[in-house]
Amino acid sequence: MRRLWRGLSPAATVYGLLLAWEGVCRAGLVTPFLLPAPSAIAWRLGQQLLAGDLAWHLALSLYRTLVSFALALLIAVPLGLAMGRVRGVRWFCEPLLAVGFPAPKIVFVQVFMLWFGLHELPKIAMATLEGIFPILSATYLGALGVDRSLLWSARNLGTGEVRLLWKVVLPAALPQVLNGAQIALPICFIVVFVTEMLLGGGGLGDAMMLAQRFADSRGVFAGIVTVSLLGYGTMRVVAWTRRLLLHWHVETQVRQL
Amino acid sequence: MAVKIEARGLYKVYPRDKGEAVPALAGLDLQVYENEFLAIVGPSGCGKSTLLYLMAGFLDATAGELLLDGRPIRGPQRDCGIVFQHFALFPWKTVKGNILYGLEERKVPRAERERLARHYIAQMKLTGFENSYPHQLSGGMKQRVAIARTLALDPAVLLMDEPFGALDAQTRRLMQEELLALWERKKKTVVFVTHDVREAVYLADRVAVMTARPGRIKAIVDTRLSAAARRHELLESEELVAKANAVWALVREEVEKSAALGE
Amino acid sequence: MGGRLWRGVPLLVLALLWEGLTRGGLLPPEVLPPLDRVLERWAAFWWGGDLLPHLVTSLWREATGFSLSVAVGVPLGIGMAWVPRLRRACEPLLALSYPVPKQALIPVFMLWLGIGHASKIAVIFVGCLIPVVISSLNGARGVDPYLLWSATNLGTPRHRLLWRVIVPAALPDILGGIRMALSISFILLVTSEILAARAGLGYLCFFLGESGAYEEMFAVVLTVVLLGFGADRLYVQGMRRLLVWHLEEGR
Repeated sequence: MRRLWRGLSPAATVYGLLLAWEGVCRAGLVTPFLLPAPSAIAWRLGQQLLAGDLAWHLALSLYRTLVSFALALLIAVPLGLAMGRVRGVRWFCEPLLAVGFPAPKIVFVQVFMLWFGLHELPKIAMATLEGIFPILSATYLGALGVDRSLLWSARNLGTGEVRLLWKVVLPAALPQVLNGAQIALPICFIVVFVTEMLLGGGGLGDAMMLAQRFADSRGVFAGIVTVSLLGYGTMRVVAWTRRLLLHWHVETQVRQL
Repeated sequence: MAVKIEARGLYKVYPRDKGEAVPALAGLDLQVYENEFLAIVGPSGCGKSTLLYLMAGFLDATAGELLLDGRPIRGPQRDCGIVFQHFALFPWKTVKGNILYGLEERKVPRAERERLARHYIAQMKLTGFENSYPHQLSGGMKQRVAIARTLALDPAVLLMDEPFGALDAQTRRLMQEELLALWERKKKTVVFVTHDVREAVYLADRVAVMTARPGRIKAIVDTRLSAAARRHELLESEELVAKANAVWALVREEVEKSAALGE
Repeated sequence: MGGRLWRGVPLLVLALLWEGLTRGGLLPPEVLPPLDRVLERWAAFWWGGDLLPHLVTSLWREATGFSLSVAVGVPLGIGMAWVPRLRRACEPLLALSYPVPKQALIPVFMLWLGIGHASKIAVIFVGCLIPVVISSLNGARGVDPYLLWSATNLGTPRHRLLWRVIVPAALPDILGGIRMALSISFILLVTSEILAARAGLGYLCFFLGESGAYEEMFAVVLTVVLLGFGADRLYVQGMRRLLVWHLEEGR
């Protein structure tokens, strides 16, 4: 009995809260403008799904997210490996990393708007910029921490310096690279969403701001729910991919090295 | 000789969230005499440490009796100081802070606290490291701090859970010698858990050999060495080796049994 | 000190590159105004007193939301670790709110609290609360049980364990979580001010961009970057001092 209660209680907190929320709205204690009932939000989500415009916004946001994430990986991984192994690169990039990482880069949205207009480019550029930092710093630290005996033995076997980066340093640093990527993907998604909120041009963020402009609270809350589910989904997918990748890689090989 | 700690039919079962419960001790009987040095050896996972934690009052026995000075042990014991294998020093306190900790908790007056801390810092050869933090110390130094911290409270019983298990061989040897010298001066009841049969024979008056899990006492061997045998630097005197071999024969049976159980 | 100067050289190179490219005419000033012009406008902006009120507004929002989240989040996280019932009640809520991008809450808080201080402070508070609670909870739950045993053995009664052992042992985790919250707070501050405000650095940047005052806009962008970086540096300095005993931070 006690165990049953324990198993139930987390769900109970959530259901209790939802019920209370619904009750408060039904009783007319708050206007639907300030706080729409959960049932109304669910209804709206269903409508959006059926009408197909949710799918369109979703596709746009995901497309931007994936492009910027891929770009961030393409830039940050080679750069991070180089920072880890090449002194000059490290010397030049480390201070930039140190200043750029903690700075609120979202303020560059104004700059990117100036440079790239309002459409795809500023959004993707912004998300790429934000995605680069976690990957770069993780890859750099990973490459820096590669076991020296590993490098020596590879060099001894005749591996050239550039091939060394790909053949030895990258695989050895892969767990950290994936750590960085795991942090970066949700960041890319959120930044895409935020730039859509700020610049418009379709996507989930734009749809939500549109709802807000028309004082459509249900639309705003439906937007929050969608984005949260997606954010959660992204995190799960990344965690799953990581396990898949590391399963045959790190646990079986690097640990033995 | 007076009995200091007594276990009668002691059972300890660890509950598991899922699946069957794990029995660690099953009907263990043991008497520890006042001011003796008793070592407990046995195969890994036989419940040696569990027994020690029961004596310290960290865990509650599932069944059976465990008495200290004839009174049942319930909850943390004032009279039993413990030293762990991995030191368990407070990393945010300096060497001196760690040694002062227990004295503060027991509301020892400030002047007396300072005096005791100074005394044990000197005795455990920690002079010059008073203001170092644990992460700045070697393993041997850390264990000296842990021992000093416990001794400063002057407990009647010293419980030691493989205290030298994490130290390198040379440090270990020196620490064994120091511990023995300390015990000869202070005369406390010591219960010393170890994997190392030779260490047990060298240090202890009696060695209790535990069975494979679930643990009971298989045999108790009297291992008091002559002064000459104790003085042998590398623990290779004939007397010590002979006694260690006798104990090892007993331990070996149990290790093979637990290996056969797949543990 | 020489090492620190040496570390600044790459930034200087970048600044020179900026200046060279714009002065050389490779980049037109409406794309990137020359750095010296930006710095000049910055100084004028600062001494003219136009920047200061916005800076103060932003800092006030930032400081209030951030310190509120620390003041609530640390005790809540430690409390959750200490009281199982509290943890069971709060954990599902935490799990539920964790994946919500806090920026998405900005429109809701605007709806509820208007576009003044309150909505910004609320967004920062909520956004920072979660990392602070989670790190405090994890830190307090992850305390080495041997430390607790050891303290018990040395005479600490159960109710004092919290203060004597759990809080200091969890401190590295807690301070790490607060650092994460600090950087989140600046992001939320700027985003919410760009989105809807009548004052603050984010608003100022947006306003200047809209009205084509690009030199001033870049000056504000630099201010914000410096602010975020400076706050982090300052915090890390303080953290190092508090954690001299800690292996990773002590060096």
